[in-house]
Amino acid sequence: MKDETMTRPVLRIENLCKSFGTTPVVTDVSFDVHPSEVIVIIGSSGTGKSTLLQCLNLLHLPTSGKIFLEDQEITAPGVNQDRVRRQMGMVFQEFNLFNHLTVLGNVTVGMTRVLGMPVKDAEKKAMNELERVGMADHRHKYPAQLSGGQKQRVGIARALGMSPKVMLFDEPTSALDPELTGEVLAVMQKLAAEGMTMIIVSHEMGFAREAADRVIFMENGRIEEQGPPDRMFTRPESERTRKFLSIITTGKAEPPSGSLGQDTL
Amino acid sequence: MKEFFAYAVMALPDLLQGTVVTLQLTAGALVIGLAIGLPLSLLRVYGPKLIQPFCTAYLTVFRGTPLLVQLFVVYYGLPEIGLSFSRMAAAFITLGCNSGAYQCEYFRGAIQAVSRDQMKAARAIGMSRFQGIRHIILPQALRLVIPAWSNELIAMVKYTAIVFLIAVPDLMNKAKILSSQNFAPIQTYVLVALIYLVLVGFLSLVLHGIQRKLAVPGLDAGMDGR
Repeated sequence: MKDETMTRPVLRIENLCKSFGTTPVVTDVSFDVHPSEVIVIIGSSGTGKSTLLQCLNLLHLPTSGKIFLEDQEITAPGVNQDRVRRQMGMVFQEFNLFNHLTVLGNVTVGMTRVLGMPVKDAEKKAMNELERVGMADHRHKYPAQLSGGQKQRVGIARALGMSPKVMLFDEPTSALDPELTGEVLAVMQKLAAEGMTMIIVSHEMGFAREAADRVIFMENGRIEEQGPPDRMFTRPESERTRKFLSIITTGKAEPPSGSLGQDTL
Repeated sequence: MKEFFAYAVMALPDLLQGTVVTLQLTAGALVIGLAIGLPLSLLRVYGPKLIQPFCTAYLTVFRGTPLLVQLFVVYYGLPEIGLSFSRMAAAFITLGCNSGAYQCEYFRGAIQAVSRDQMKAARAIGMSRFQGIRHIILPQALRLVIPAWSNELIAMVKYTAIVFLIAVPDLMNKAKILSSQNFAPIQTYVLVALIYLVLVGFLSLVLHGIQRKLAVPGLDAGMDGR
C-alpha cells in the first residue's frame, strides 16, 4: 500500500508558491500524496502550513505552481473550483460548524445542496458518518450545545459526508482544551487506520509519531525536511528540524546565548 | 370620561377606516423596502466594487434627507418631469424606497455579523458563493436582523402619518378631519395616539414571537438565558 512507485498519487503538488501581496508565504513546495497516506505537516507558527493546506483545496488560490487531484490539474484555468472542493474534505481549527443547523443538518447540508442527494439518503449517510465519529446520539443538538471536541468530531463527519478523496485537517486540536484533544485524535487515528488519505497540520507530535506515514517539517514557507516519523523524530537531518523538535518535545527553547538576567524575570 | 367614551364611539368607525389605510401603507412600504433593501445589502457586501458608489448614493439620498421632503418631491416634484403618481402610489413609493435604504443597512449589519468562517466552511464543502449565501449566511443573518427590523416596522407605522400632508386618507388624515369638525383636538389625538400604541404593541409582540420561534440555541444571543 505504501509503496510509492506502485500507486498513482491522489494529490501532486508541484512548485507551489503563494504570496499575499508582496509577502511570500509558501515558497516552491512540491510533494506527492499517495492513497491512504497520512501526512503530518509540522513547523512553527507563521511558516505557511495552514496557507499551504488551504491552497490545496483552492480556498487560497496559489500564486504559481500546479496541483493535480488524481489526473486533473486543478490549478488550470477554467477548472470548476466548487467541484474540486467537494472532493476534498476540510476540518478547521475553529470547527466552523454551521450555527443555525443541527448536528445532522451540518452533515447533510452539503450532500443535499451540493451533491443533490435526496434528503432520506443524505440523512442515512450522515448517520453513518456520525456513528463513525461517535456523535450519532447528539444529532438533534445545535453547535452551541456541544463541547469543542464534539464540535470538531461533527466537523470531521461533515467533511466525510462528501466522500472526499482526501481529508485536510488544519490544526484540528489547537482550539481545544487539552482534555478534549484525545477524542478528536482517536477519531483521526481510526480514519487513518481505515485507509483515509489525510494531510494534517498539527502540533500533536505524539499523534504524528503514531499515525503519520510521513512528516513534513516546514520553515519559512518551504519544506525543510520530510521523512517517516521514526527517522524525523530520532535522527532529523536538518539542524532546524532538530531545534524545532527539541523545543516542542521538551517544552522549552534552548537558552539564548548569555543567561537570562534577573531583570528580565 | 363619559364624554370621551361617547366621542370615541362616534369617532372610531372613521378612525378605523384610516387605520386600515395606515396598515396598508406600513405593509406596502415594508415589502417594497425589503425587496430593495435585501438585494442592495447583498450587493453592498458581496457585489463588485464598481457598483458600490451607486449603492452609497442611494443610501445617502434616502437616509440623508427628510422623509417629508422625499414625499413632496415624488408627489409634487416628479409630475413636472412627466412622472405623475396617485396619492397612494406616491406614498407607497416614497415610504418603500426610504425603508429600503434603512433595511439595507440593517441587513448589511446582520450579514457582516455572521462570521466569515461560515462562508469558508460552506465553500470547503463545495458550495458556490451563491449557495453559501443562500443556505448558510442568510438563514443566520435573517435571524440576527429581526430585532433591528422590528425597529423599522415600529418606526414605519408612525412614519406613515406624514402622508396626511398629501391628503392620503390614513389614520392621521381622518383624525385631522374629525378634530376640526367636532372641535375636539384633545379627544381625537389621544384616541389616535392610543390606536398607534395598540398597533405598535401588537406588531412588536408578533415579531417577538417570530424571533422566539426561529431562535437557534446559542445563535440568537438575545433570546436565551438573558
